[in-house]
Order: sequence, then C-alpha cells, then structure tokens
Amino acid sequence: MQQLIEELKQKIVAALNLQEVKPADIKEDEPLFGAGLGLDSIDALELVVLLERDYGIIVKEQEVARKAFTSVRALATFIEEHRGQCSKGA
Amino acid sequence: MQQRRIVVTGLGIIGACGTGAAAVWESIRQGASGLRPLSLFSSIRYERILVGEVPADVDRLAGNVRGSRSDKLAWIAAREAVASAGLPLVGRDRRARRSVEEQSRTAQRSVPTSERIGVVLGATVGGMLGTEKFVRDLLQPRRASYGVLRFHECAASADLIARQFGADGPVLAFSTACSGGALAIAAAAELIANDEADVVLAGGCDSLCRLTLNGFGSLLLLDPKGCRPFDAQRAGISLGEGAAVLVLEAAEVAAARGGTVLAELSGWGAACDAYHATAPQPDGDGALVAMRRALTRAKLSPTDVSYVNAHGTGTRDNDLMEGRALRRLFGDALPPVSSTKPFFGHTLGASGAIKAVISVLALRHQALPPNPGFDAVDPEIRIEPVRAYRPAALTHVMSNSFGFGGNNVVLVFSKPPAVVGQAPRLPSPGQRQPERLPYNFRFPIVGAGAVNPVGETTCEMRAPLPSGRAPVFACGEFGAEKELPVARRRRLSRLQQMTLVAARRCLPAQFDPAHACVAIGTGLGSLNEAAAFVENLWRKDEREPLPQRFTNSVHNALAGQVAIELGARGLNSTPTCHEISFEAALWHALRELAAGTANLALAGAADELNPYAVAAGRRWGLPVPGEGAAVFALTTTDGGPRSVVAAGTSTDAMLRGSVQAPRVPPMAYLHAVRLGRYTGDNEAEARWIADTVDLAKLDVLLTGANGWPALDAEYAAVAEALGRMAGRKIVVGTYKQWCGEHASASAFGFSVAIRLVRGEVRLAEQTGDCRRVALYTLSPHAQKALCVVEH
Repeated sequence: MQQLIEELKQKIVAALNLQEVKPADIKEDEPLFGAGLGLDSIDALELVVLLERDYGIIVKEQEVARKAFTSVRALATFIEEHRGQCSKGA
Repeated sequence: MQQRRIVVTGLGIIGACGTGAAAVWESIRQGASGLRPLSLFSSIRYERILVGEVPADVDRLAGNVRGSRSDKLAWIAAREAVASAGLPLVGRDRRARRSVEEQSRTAQRSVPTSERIGVVLGATVGGMLGTEKFVRDLLQPRRASYGVLRFHECAASADLIARQFGADGPVLAFSTACSGGALAIAAAAELIANDEADVVLAGGCDSLCRLTLNGFGSLLLLDPKGCRPFDAQRAGISLGEGAAVLVLEAAEVAAARGGTVLAELSGWGAACDAYHATAPQPDGDGALVAMRRALTRAKLSPTDVSYVNAHGTGTRDNDLMEGRALRRLFGDALPPVSSTKPFFGHTLGASGAIKAVISVLALRHQALPPNPGFDAVDPEIRIEPVRAYRPAALTHVMSNSFGFGGNNVVLVFSKPPAVVGQAPRLPSPGQRQPERLPYNFRFPIVGAGAVNPVGETTCEMRAPLPSGRAPVFACGEFGAEKELPVARRRRLSRLQQMTLVAARRCLPAQFDPAHACVAIGTGLGSLNEAAAFVENLWRKDEREPLPQRFTNSVHNALAGQVAIELGARGLNSTPTCHEISFEAALWHALRELAAGTANLALAGAADELNPYAVAAGRRWGLPVPGEGAAVFALTTTDGGPRSVVAAGTSTDAMLRGSVQAPRVPPMAYLHAVRLGRYTGDNEAEARWIADTVDLAKLDVLLTGANGWPALDAEYAAVAEALGRMAGRKIVVGTYKQWCGEHASASAFGFSVAIRLVRGEVRLAEQTGDCRRVALYTLSPHAQKALCVVEH
C-alpha cells in the first residue's frame, strides 16, 4: 500500500505537470482538490486517464471519481479495490 | 443615432428531430426525442451511444455544394430561411439579379442591395469530421488528401452561404463553444442596429465528430441514457448536430420589401463568468448578468417574460447553475421553462441558433415546447420544466446559451406588434449621407502587447507528416517562463500562453475588470490541441483520451483564459474569420464600448504554426507561414465616468451605477473599423475605403500583401485606384515580411500602424509626418476589413 502511495505521488506530479511540487510534498491524507494541492475538475479527469492507462481501471461516472480522489490514500485504496476489474460505474 | 429595430422574417432548421421548421415543430408537438444510436461513424468506446444525429441524407439535400458536413447543414438551413423570408437572393448571376431588380421595381418594393446583406454564423468544430479522416490517413500508409483542410476552419460555412447567395456585406463567424450560435445572432443584431447591414443571415452549425464525442466522453459528461435536462437523475449531455439560420432584418427594411415579420429580436446580452475553463460559475453570476443585459436592451422586466428556453444541457453543473440564476432573476415568479436539447442533442455551435428558431416558433404557434427525458424534480434546482406541449399566450421568450469558458449569451424574442407601421422607401446607396456612416469614431488606444516572431527561420516537419524542412516565422521563446506563474502555466496550451503574455503586456496600470470585455480572433485557433487529441485517438483506438487537450481545443479558450486572468466579465468573443479575425474582434469589442456595457476593451488575435497547415502550404506553394499574438486595450471616447447598463434591483456590483474608465494617456486613436466583402472591382474597393476615411487626410495604406502574386496585384490595383481618386499617390506599406502569413497577421499590422502614427517607424517612401494610417486586409475567402489608426 505504502509503495503504491509513493508511486501515485510521482505519477500525479508528472501527469498534472506540477512543476513546483515534489512528490514528497504531497501528504497522504491531504485533500487533492480545492484546498491542498489546488487541483480542479480537469485535473481529476487527467487522473481518470492515469487510472485507465496504468492500472486498467475505467471510471465512467464523475461521482465515482469525486469519491476516489479525495486524497492520495483514498486513491490508493480505490486502486487496490478495483485492480483487475475492467470497469467501474458503468 | 436612433438604434434600429430588428425583426425575424425567415427561419431554417435541420436537426435530429427533423428537416425544416414544419417537421421540427411537429416533432416538438409530439414530444418525441430525436436521440438515436450513433451511426455516422464508428466508435469503439462509445458504440451506439445515443446522439442527436441528423437522419436525413445531408449530401443529397445540400445538392451541388462543396464543403464539410457542417457547411452542408448550414447551407440547408440557410436555403430554407431565405426561401421562407421571400428574399430574392439569386447569387452572383447578373441576369438573375437584374430580373429581381426589375420585378421589385414593378411591384414598387425595395430590395436590399447585396453589400447591405451579411452572414454571421457560430460554429465550434467546423470541418473537424473531415480533418479527423485526414489525420487518420496521415497516420496510416495511405494518401492523405490535403484538400479537406480547406473546409477545416469554422468560417467555411459562412463563406459558403455568402458565396451561394451573393451576400456582399460583412461575413463573420464566431466560435465560442456552446454559445456560438447565439453570439452570432447577437453580433448580427449589432450589425443591423448600428446600420452596418440591412439584412443578416444569422445562425450556427456543427456536425458530430470524434473529437467532441470522445472529448465530452473524457470529461465524463455523456449521459448513456440520453440527456435528461433538469431531472434529478440527469448525468450529462447527449451530443447532437444540426444547423439553424434566421433572416434578421431592420424593421423598416422588412416593411419596405413587404417581408412577413415572424418575431422581433428585442434584446440580446452577453457576459463572461471569468471563472473556469469548463465549469460554470456555480451561482450563475455570469448567466444572470447576461439575462439582465438582454432584458435591459429589450426594455423589459423579468415579469414580462412568458417562457424561458433554457440552455439545459443535462449536466449536473449546468442545470444547477442555470436553475440558481433563473431563481435569482425571477424569484418565485418563474415563467414556464424547458430545455429542447433532448430533441436535438447538444449541437454546440448550432445550439444557440436552434434555440432561437424554437423560440420564434413558440411565439408563432403560441405554445410551450416540452422537455423530454424529465421525470423527477431535483430538490436542489426546484424547477419543474414543461412536461408536455401545451398552448400558452406568449409575448416575450428568453433563450439562454452558456458555453465553455463561461461564455453566456441570452436572446429575447418578442411577438411582433400587430401593425409594424408605414413602409418607408429605402434610400439608395448613393443617397446615404457620409456623416451617418456608423464606423467613424475616436476610441483611445491605451495599451498594446504582442508576442511577435523573431524572424524567418526553418522548422523540422515530423511524422505523421512527410519529413522535411520548411521556412517559417516562429515566435521561439516568448517570455512565458518569466511572465506567467508556473501554477498558471501548467495547463495552458502554447497558444494560450502566447495570448496571455500579449494581454498582460497591453494592460493599463489601472482598470475595472468587471467592465472589461475581451475579443480575441483566431484563424486556425487551437488546431494543435485538437490535432493532438485526434492523433492520440487514432493511435490508441480511443483509449486513454486527453481531457486537458480537449478543453484546450475550443477556440474560445484564448479569450476565456484572458478573461479569467483579468476577471473580465463583459462580452467574451472569439471571431474566427480567416485573415480578418483580428478586425472582427476589434469591431465586436468596440460595439460593447459604444453600447456602454464595457469601458475597457481588450481586442486582439492569435495564431500559431500548425504542422498540417505548414505542410499544406508547402504543397500548395503558399507564402512563408508565421505566427503571433497581439492584444490592444481600448477605452471609451471621453475617458470619464460612464453609466453602465443598470437593471432592476440587483445588488450585483456589475450592474450598478457608473464606473470610471481607465485614465491613461492614449498612444493613438482608432478612427474606424469596417468589415465587408471584396468585390473584385478596384474602383468599388477604392470607393469603399474613401467612404470610410477622408482621403485628403490619409497618409499611409498598410496592406496585407504577402508575396503571393495574385493577392499583391489586387492590393496594388486598389491602391492605384485610390491614388486616382485622391489625386495623389498614396504611400503603401506592408508588414508580412516581418511576421509571415497567418490569419492573425493583421493584428501585427495594427501595431505597425500605431508605431507609424507615433513616428516610431517610417516607411522609405514616406515624405512627411504620418498622422493617419488605414490598415486594409483581404482574405482569400473574399472577406475584407479596414481599420483606421490616427494620431
């Protein structure tokens, strides 16, 4: 789990082009959107693509994304739960 | 000058639920949704998703015209509109024109002359459906047809209609995402109200394509069950396609030719959220201001509105926002509301025009269109839209359109008065008084900012294009790293960064963003972003889409980002009119200054090198391509306090009181902006210029000559005719030798004009001081524009 969290931090920084942020700066339980990193709905959609590309998880509903992306830890948990499944929220 | 009243005399429409106004209204009466499984092209990811696809054979209906599917849809709608208006538009055939003139003489009726007839359309994707195939062919070992790129630009549909009907007035296109069709109608109304045209064919068009289907899919905004506007369970839009065109006329012109008045376009208003690239401002601030502005222009109060044709896309955010805005405007006295999106799907650039036609038809039939797909009231929205078609006494209908980038446009249509009044004779063109010309004024230019190419260089063409080197004028490093914060920059496209840097460089030290309007023209716009999205689509069989690229691919992302940067909440406009896109932006921004809805206008244009266009240019032997962005700040004539449209009992700071226009020493003045169509007659062209600017005081004619022999010869011939008219040689200058050929080059020319009147640069042929420069621009698609800059 911890390994997945560290991996996700690096991927988020790269995928969202967060030039001023180091992966270590992202706190596991800090909200990803709004406050915290200041990400918004379009960033969330980029993370949806990341889930599809790197973990084979297809998210089809905004509501599912909204819940999964509350923090890096929540995201890691979401991935652990859905890895291997081909779709979610169809 | 007394503003002219505008009436609707003709309608044309094609969409998923029918071809022609009669068929469409019958579908609406029956409440039958127009959504059906996608069949126009195959999609792996969205196989058989519900869309508003036009079932009719578009190619056959369009007949013998060339163009994209979008162009053909527009042409079918325009043809119906002109026929229903009884307008004798017969194209360029001289004999047919003479016979029309004769007939109208015998019938004692005036017919508007061709240079008083304009075409203004909104479009979002233009010829993208064809461009997608071009990209696919490039990626595969098969021959790609570059010819299809000629129909890529959003302006192509308006060009086609103008060409077919022989309309020689202003021909414009606007690409402001989902409000484009409504903005086009509002701009057309400005042209007529300001006496720059008598008749305008106004509307919008868009065809389905893979970019928008996969793009909205990547935003998780497609409702698999079909759109259900305002419903508690709504889950997104259904995409659609279609076109709608209205014949708008000055009331006295319609009366003089005996046209039947279907409705009056009594109000229009625009406002920008300046909030987010795609998400609407949650409380509906911008939507509310646009609705208020439209009502104010119509001299109506909210209680006068008898029906609202809502934007109602079916997304969670839009419908919630729109509901809030409607409650804020109408309180508990909400008139009947419905969204007609389920009949057509969301037709993007056509949507605003389709809704305008539905609004007029509702007035004609005195009935309320239903809102299919609605089942249960959303407790957060608390709006129950019209469930079934029913007769109702309608006097004023409001039509809402809200787009990406917070582009809000609202139109108000009214039942025409029983008696329109006396039919006056139209003055013939010769009788027009020069002092009545609507394009002479003196607006101070208080700022200029640009990102210019550094000089001619070469670029490497890479796969999927044939490899090779091409000469270009490129901007290179333009200072984005220094001038834009990292956090601001990370998601912006290169063209957005160029535009934003130019805008920041032009800003006066003090200004009031709430009353600033922004108009940024573009030719190819965000094609690089769209191309990246589409290339990725083909390479990966629709897996792993690029949502960021999609949101950046709308052309109005440029003006939208400038508005967000500044907090500019006035009109937000994106003209896409080939080489006169800049002049159209300038014109649109000035209309807002003149109307008092803004006291600072940022007008500019931006285009960047696109590999496909560079490769096509190499094949076709076109002049060296270039790129650049330029933005200018203009303010109101007096620079003093100015009352800004006040409305109702709003506590909105935007709508209250008077505000101070920025007091900055002007660098130069803008004396005229005029748009039209190139006639091919040098004497007529010279007369057109002489009508706009006093030749005795004209020092330099700055042209868009670019080394292309045919174009340069046209400019030279017009300059010569102008010299004969003035009785002296007019000094002619050019600027494309410094910036290359691109649709936004005239914005660069405009900065050269400013520097000429300021004495910062001189032309070799110049003998005395230069106090007045006319910037004359022609496009290969026969648009023309003239801007006059003076000391």
